[in-house]
Amino acid sequence: MSILCHIAISEGRIKRSSLETLSHARHIAKKNNMEVSAVIIDVKAGNYVPEVKKFGVSKIYTIESPLFEHHINSPLIEALIKVINLEKPKVMTFASTESIKDVLGAVGSRTKAGVIPDVASFDLQNGTIHAQRPIMASKFLADTESNADLVLVSVRSGSYDVQESPGDAEVIKVDFDFDENNIRQKIREIISTSGDKIDLSEAQIVVAAGRGVKDEEGKKLIMELSEVLGAAIGASRSVVETGMFSPSTQIGQTGKVVSPQLYLAVGISGAIQHTSGMVNSRIIVAINKDPEAPIFDIANYGLVGDLYKILPLLIGQIKSAKNK
Amino acid sequence: MKFYACIKQVPDLAGPMRVKDNELIQDSDRLMLNAYDASAVEEALVITEKHGGDVEVVLVGLEKAKETARKALAMGASKGTMITIDDGLNLDSAGYAEILAAFFKGAEFDVIVCGKQSQDTDAGLTGSMLAHKLQIPYASNAVGLDVDEASGMVIVKRQGDIGQEIIELPAPCLVTCSNDMNDPRIPTLKGIMQSKRKPFDAIDVKTLGLESSDLNSFIKTKVTGYRNTPGRKPGIKMEGEPEDIVKQLVDLLDNEAKVL
Amino acid sequence: MEEEKFDCIIVGGGVAGLSAALTLAKANVKFLLIERGEFSGSKNVSGGVLWGNDLDRLVPGYWKSDEGYERFINHRRLTFMDDEASFSVDFKSRHFNTTPYRGIIVLRAKFDNWLAGKVQEAIEKSNYPEESFIANSILVEDVLIKDSRAVGIKADGDEFHSDMVVLAEGVNNLLTRKIGLQEKYVPVDYVATGVKEIIQFDQKVLEDRFQLDGLSGMSNEFIGYASRGIEGGGFLYTNRDSISLGLVLGMKDLRKKGKKPQDILNDFKEHPVIKDIIKGGELAEYSAHVVSTGDIRAMPKKIYMDGLLIAGEAANLLLNSGKAIQGMDYAMRSGILAAETVLKAKENDDYSSQMLKNYHIALEESFVMKDMRKFQSAVQFLHSEDMFETVPKIVCDFGKDFFTIENQPTLKSSSMLRKAVRKHSSYWKMLKLAYKGGRAL
Ligand SMILES: Cc1cc2nc3c(=O)[nH]c(=O)nc-3n(C[C@H](O)[C@H](O)[C@H](O)COP(=O)(O)OP(=O)(O)OC[C@H]3O[C@@H](n4cnc5c(N)ncnc54)[C@H](O)[C@@H]3O)c2cc1C
Ligand SMILES: Cc1cc2nc3c(=O)[nH]c(=O)nc-3n(C[C@H](O)[C@H](O)[C@H](O)COP(=O)(O)OP(=O)(O)OC[C@H]3O[C@@H](n4cnc5c(N)ncnc54)[C@H](O)[C@@H]3O)c2cc1C
Ligand SMILES: Nc1ncnc2c1ncn2[C@@H]1O[C@H](COP(=O)(O)O)[C@@H](O)[C@H]1O
Repeated sequence: MSILCHIAISEGRIKRSSLETLSHARHIAKKNNMEVSAVIIDVKAGNYVPEVKKFGVSKIYTIESPLFEHHINSPLIEALIKVINLEKPKVMTFASTESIKDVLGAVGSRTKAGVIPDVASFDLQNGTIHAQRPIMASKFLADTESNADLVLVSVRSGSYDVQESPGDAEVIKVDFDFDENNIRQKIREIISTSGDKIDLSEAQIVVAAGRGVKDEEGKKLIMELSEVLGAAIGASRSVVETGMFSPSTQIGQTGKVVSPQLYLAVGISGAIQHTSGMVNSRIIVAINKDPEAPIFDIANYGLVGDLYKILPLLIGQIKSAKNK
Repeated sequence: MKFYACIKQVPDLAGPMRVKDNELIQDSDRLMLNAYDASAVEEALVITEKHGGDVEVVLVGLEKAKETARKALAMGASKGTMITIDDGLNLDSAGYAEILAAFFKGAEFDVIVCGKQSQDTDAGLTGSMLAHKLQIPYASNAVGLDVDEASGMVIVKRQGDIGQEIIELPAPCLVTCSNDMNDPRIPTLKGIMQSKRKPFDAIDVKTLGLESSDLNSFIKTKVTGYRNTPGRKPGIKMEGEPEDIVKQLVDLLDNEAKVL
Repeated sequence: MEEEKFDCIIVGGGVAGLSAALTLAKANVKFLLIERGEFSGSKNVSGGVLWGNDLDRLVPGYWKSDEGYERFINHRRLTFMDDEASFSVDFKSRHFNTTPYRGIIVLRAKFDNWLAGKVQEAIEKSNYPEESFIANSILVEDVLIKDSRAVGIKADGDEFHSDMVVLAEGVNNLLTRKIGLQEKYVPVDYVATGVKEIIQFDQKVLEDRFQLDGLSGMSNEFIGYASRGIEGGGFLYTNRDSISLGLVLGMKDLRKKGKKPQDILNDFKEHPVIKDIIKGGELAEYSAHVVSTGDIRAMPKKIYMDGLLIAGEAANLLLNSGKAIQGMDYAMRSGILAAETVLKAKENDDYSSQMLKNYHIALEESFVMKDMRKFQSAVQFLHSEDMFETVPKIVCDFGKDFFTIENQPTLKSSSMLRKAVRKHSSYWKMLKLAYKGGRAL
């Protein structure tokens, strides 16, 4: 019996959230004296083996194919099914990325598995997976369980710490003979949003703009602030709607879930659909001119005032604070 | 083109709700159309208004879900089908997908649109589960949708991890929609009036050849209880001269939070 | 689409509108009820007591299921307060337990939605299951007037025609003013602000604290400190597992004294007596809403015209006599009477004001107008400074002397009273007040 962990690769790096999940899976496996194995699916899956070895897994499956250049769901599903059939795990874990959200249901359906998506925590007790899922825009947590023969669990980023545990793993290259003609969907183009160099969902610091950021001048201030902080840029839905910020930066129920060390909410009111994507940030700073704005209820530090006055000062001060 | 929108009735998140001894209590019986489904319906309507065709909606739920189906008809969908199930069987996404699959096995369609997720469960599984059961290609988390008149291909712009992917799918296919794709229309009084005269079937799930026993066997996960999300306590709120409060903040970030 | 005409269009899905609608649906009338909120009740903050048993006429045996209401009243309390004490008149009786109840506590967000459900059921049973309906999320922009007769309404830029229009739009009766049946600006003397909090408890705790049994409930009105020298008073109603705690405060006085209702409510909650009552409770919801004072001078010039009737608080039908706020029961009865008048008009195919005057007459003959007239002086009385300032202080001072027992000669209660009166007022004034009060109530 084993727990199989999918290792997500993005922009030539292993997603931290995969390692968070892997680290936790290892604890659970120990408790239930099971083994942990991992699978890497990428154009150059092999490159990531050494890194994954640091996490005390017993087997590492690698599936390499040019097909994984860009995310397309059908080949990814086939690849996942293939390792599942090889490994026959009791549990398979994933980092809850958009790519995984895209395929999780299909894989679950194919394997008749119990699927528990987007959990904040999970555990395995005598054959049953017990998980806590944020639901209703994270208003509540639902205790969810499944005792299916195979359970697929995807985990929200930031739910667990990354802990290495050296060990030597057997590496299994899985050959992937997938006929491209079976792909019934074709990628026309990829609009990769330049600018956000730092992967938002993994960023340690996030500067998030809301509708309070009304114009290019405001956007410039956000950019500068994120520069000096080395932060990724996030946004609320209403400001994405204005077209000023790319949809990829949206944080919340519809958008991404982030849990950085520092989250600066600038001109964001704090609707639950937004906060559901960032409440787990360690430190939340809110800048809002409305003292009643709900965002202040969850902010460690709240600044009541006009962002156009505050940001320039803040940028200056942080610069000098960093220089000393 | 023939569109089907799968719509779900969900509790109004803005309405009073709370947890009481493990149960989720909705203080007012406010139920509404899942926001993501509203976007799916809207998009299907826009496309059929542009390229021709029509939009039907299908809903699995209890008797009271009828009003939600009506709302979609009031928006402009041409026909509604409601598949009624017994109260008390706690279906998960897999369960709903099975029922919908059984329905679509007997339906003619080009595109099925779903919401990317249910506002209440935030699961986001039913769409791709259904697509697999129907053996049709699909794309999820669409923020844009159109049909290429010439090739008859369905063009989906989906939000991926980094950037957006523009994908071509042959019909029949399934697309799950993000609410970022549009602002669903609010039914007009005329629309509401017409909705009552539109064809509306209410069929029992049994007529799809599914007995409660089967349904139970589809359910792979169950919710054993609910709890409040551990809340954050409000921290320091600083008001006053920008200069002062910014100084204060930077000091706190630097020395207290140590995040600089 | 072919232009279809309704027998009646009802504007407003509150208690008045829904009561009218239910009456019409049962009588097989083709009607349209329009509510601007996404749900009936979603625009309504009042959690309160629906007095009387008209509801049993509309929904016979409603009390057999516990769906619509929170609790029934079998315990009432009227409390006078000064800044440290409270002196209550407390009444509990078995006779309240017999159904149909004399008063039920409701949460409007829930109750209105439930009642709307009953209307929907009635529509489906009626001869017009497809032609009559309730439309939500629609704002009525105008009443269509054709040679001084109401002929329908305007919404979404479209016109919708009907033989009758019933305005049940509530206290913010913009349409009523638009068509000139009421002055554009109602003097602030005639309006008050209601603020309310819902405070959540563990059901067991709540039932023990208020000695509730099953679905029994209590209503408590407060006079004196509650409003902190602002004209008005406070109320407390027990729901299933929460309480509605709030104040109704004179708008004019608030402005004059420059106070915020929410601050006064917070002080109220800090009062030692209230503090003990709400101990351990959690604030679940805060809301504020305008409410009429029940001053008859605030009523529209006329509540009917050719093709149109006004029901509920849109017609300022409400009585706040200090012992209870009666708005929903007035709304319900006036809604029913309006509908019955519509039926009569339809029978005779006569929608003239002569015919519709019957509504006015019926209302005058009902408890609604009879009480409003009878208790006007009570309303004035309640809003007199003596009533919300002096009297409570006197009563509480008297209470302090009367109930305090120390090891020293005790005064006769008569002299205690004299002492208390002299401290805050004059005998003569109090005699006059007592006389006035006696006549008013
Ligand atoms: C199903 C569903 C899913 C959703 N998903 C998401 C999601 O994923 N992400 C998301 O963000 N939203 C989401 N929303 C929308 C969400 O409900 C809110 O509408 C949105 O988050 C509001 O964004 P905002 O706070 O930027 O805008 P607003 O609510 O308009 O707030 C703007 C704030 O800026 C402040 N402000 C204005 N000017 C200034 C100034 N000069 N200086 C300082 N402060 C200023 C104002 O006081 C105000 O508080 C979703 C909604 C639904 C129904
Ligand atoms: C804090 C507070 C406490 C109260 N407590 C009590 C109590 O304990 N007992 C009691 O009997 N009364 C109480 N009342 C009074 C009671 O709430 C009202 O008198 C009663 O709701 C009046 O009912 P109505 O149907 O006339 O108006 P409403 O209930 O206000 O309904 C009017 C409806 O019309 C809709 N509407 C308005 N304009 C339009 C338009 N143009 N188009 C479409 N829809 C429109 C509104 O959205 C609203 O839903 C209280 C009031 C307040 C504020
Ligand atoms: N009971 C249902 N009836 C119709 N469609 C449904 C139902 N449940 C889920 N769906 C569809 O699946 C989507 C969400 O899937 P999920 O988040 O897994 O519940 C919804 O937006 C609908 O399109």
